[in-house]
Amino acid sequence: MTDQETNGSQNSPSEHCGIFTIPGSDPIQGAWRDITYVPVRDNIWSVSEGIYRTIFVEGDKGVVAFDTFTTPGGARAYQGAMQRVFPNKPVHTIVYSHEHLDHTGYAADLAPDADIIAHDLCNQVIVGRQSDGQLPATEVWDGERKQYNIDGVEFELIYPGPTHGDGNVAAYFPQSKLLFMVDTVIPGVGYTFFPDWHMSPYVPTMRRFESLDWDTFVPGHFWITDRKGFADNLDYYDRMAEIAQEAIGAGLDVDDFAEVTRYTYEHLKPKFGKHFRFDEYCAMNLSRYMSHYLTGGWGIEGNMTADTRPL
Amino acid sequence: MNEHQGIFTSQAVQDYLAAPATVSSEQLSDRLWTASDGKYRTVFVEADNSVVAFDTFGTPARARAYAAEIARVIPGKPVSTVIYTHDHLDHAGFASDFAPGAEIVADEMTAKVVAMRGADGQLPATQALSGTEHRVNFDGAEFVLLNRGPVHGTGHLSAWFEDEKVFYSSDTILANARYGLMPDYHIANFVKIMRSFLDLDFERFVPGRYEVTDRARFEEGCDYIEAMQVTCQAAFLNFVPIWIHDVMAGFVQNELGDRFGHLDGFMEHSGQTAIRIVHHYLMGGWGLEDTPEPGILLAE
Repeated sequence: MTDQETNGSQNSPSEHCGIFTIPGSDPIQGAWRDITYVPVRDNIWSVSEGIYRTIFVEGDKGVVAFDTFTTPGGARAYQGAMQRVFPNKPVHTIVYSHEHLDHTGYAADLAPDADIIAHDLCNQVIVGRQSDGQLPATEVWDGERKQYNIDGVEFELIYPGPTHGDGNVAAYFPQSKLLFMVDTVIPGVGYTFFPDWHMSPYVPTMRRFESLDWDTFVPGHFWITDRKGFADNLDYYDRMAEIAQEAIGAGLDVDDFAEVTRYTYEHLKPKFGKHFRFDEYCAMNLSRYMSHYLTGGWGIEGNMTADTRPL
Repeated sequence: MNEHQGIFTSQAVQDYLAAPATVSSEQLSDRLWTASDGKYRTVFVEADNSVVAFDTFGTPARARAYAAEIARVIPGKPVSTVIYTHDHLDHAGFASDFAPGAEIVADEMTAKVVAMRGADGQLPATQALSGTEHRVNFDGAEFVLLNRGPVHGTGHLSAWFEDEKVFYSSDTILANARYGLMPDYHIANFVKIMRSFLDLDFERFVPGRYEVTDRARFEEGCDYIEAMQVTCQAAFLNFVPIWIHDVMAGFVQNELGDRFGHLDGFMEHSGQTAIRIVHHYLMGGWGLEDTPEPGILLAE
């Protein structure tokens, strides 16, 4: 039997539909996602369907899962992967990294009875959003750091300040020297136009993690990296901030995307052309940074002064 | 001499900030004008002894050109009041260069963001408004300021000039399709809130960019964004690679071209707009502004 048959999930009726308002979401919401899973270190495993990535951790009696994947079908595939690795250990706890549906939208399909842990800033949005399939937290925490020991799984959740989304937290496993954080440092150039990134505080807030003792960084997308990959990625943001200002100073019109694209290839390709997804996203990255400087930052989070104290 | 520089940190922008600009104006009624630098647009009102101006334009040089244009058409009356439509620097960033002694009026959330930001040249509010509707009178100039919820930026105020049947709303609906990546738009409630303004009696609509238009094209603008929301969901549901600009542009242009292809900028901008909107559905919206009942944001 195939995984699809054993899970019986493909195209099942009435999938949870997130915030879609038009009919017909069942095929893509229910589509099976092939998941690969690898042991990372100690009792920590990582899973990915090629684009999204998260971790799950073996406890004494069950599994602590981080996030839920992108769709109901993805959530079920994630659940299937964990069952395959730990066939007799149920998912008893889900930890939300942040509130976006593409990472945490489908606990109702992953493990509907699990305890769910989220930062208060994350859960406020989830409760307000009322998205179909996204379950609110059963345990909310606030502040900057909180240590957990759940079923023998020890980790610390850290909210360093505004980075991406709301209440976006890192999971730190000091014994394993591993840091996991979603939709912040991602290999390659930034994703499209940095959706819901809080540009002003982003880099200094992320650099706070450099004060912790870890050597493995698991991002929310693509491949696992290390301290150098983490630092190099933040350097890219710093450089884009400079280039965006230079482009405005040179008279580039942010509303002329064809010209922004031309400028990107002319000025950025020599330095960043070999970065993963340069062709797909770099012009959008530049456009977003230009908008940031022209508008001044977006909302409360986008205008907060970063806390730069070491963690 | 260095210009006020907003949040720029690079000296490379000094020429941009100082570049000479021309702001021209068009009289909409005995007391009401609209002003434009060729892209951005705002309004100002002649009061009994002074001028009430909305926003400042987006560079120190443009702010000075705005002040000069007001002085040209309404000589002898100083700008006593500046109303920030929202917090963004490209509209409201340079009161220091425009009218440094004026009262600054803003929604309380705009005032909060402006204070947090501390941008060089953007003056903090001296009067913060709370709530959804305010019938104001500044030096004899009466009109209505409205914040019906998050549409764009933070603490966004629109203005209704009842006697002139003019509605002014900056960086919301446009008379074209030049929305780009819809920076800091709040997609969840945008069309619902903008359509609610159709309960006002207005014939002319002044957007924050490009040309003045009318009620019918305001409604068409709402229709366009709404159609884009439906089409972007359809793209996702049809397994379109939503992260690739040219593919998303092709999809929405094919789906919406017959109905909206006549809008200026449709071919150039619809791809970016589509990528922004489809990610709203993928991610669930951005922050409390994009929740179904965002009224909480109107209070402290």
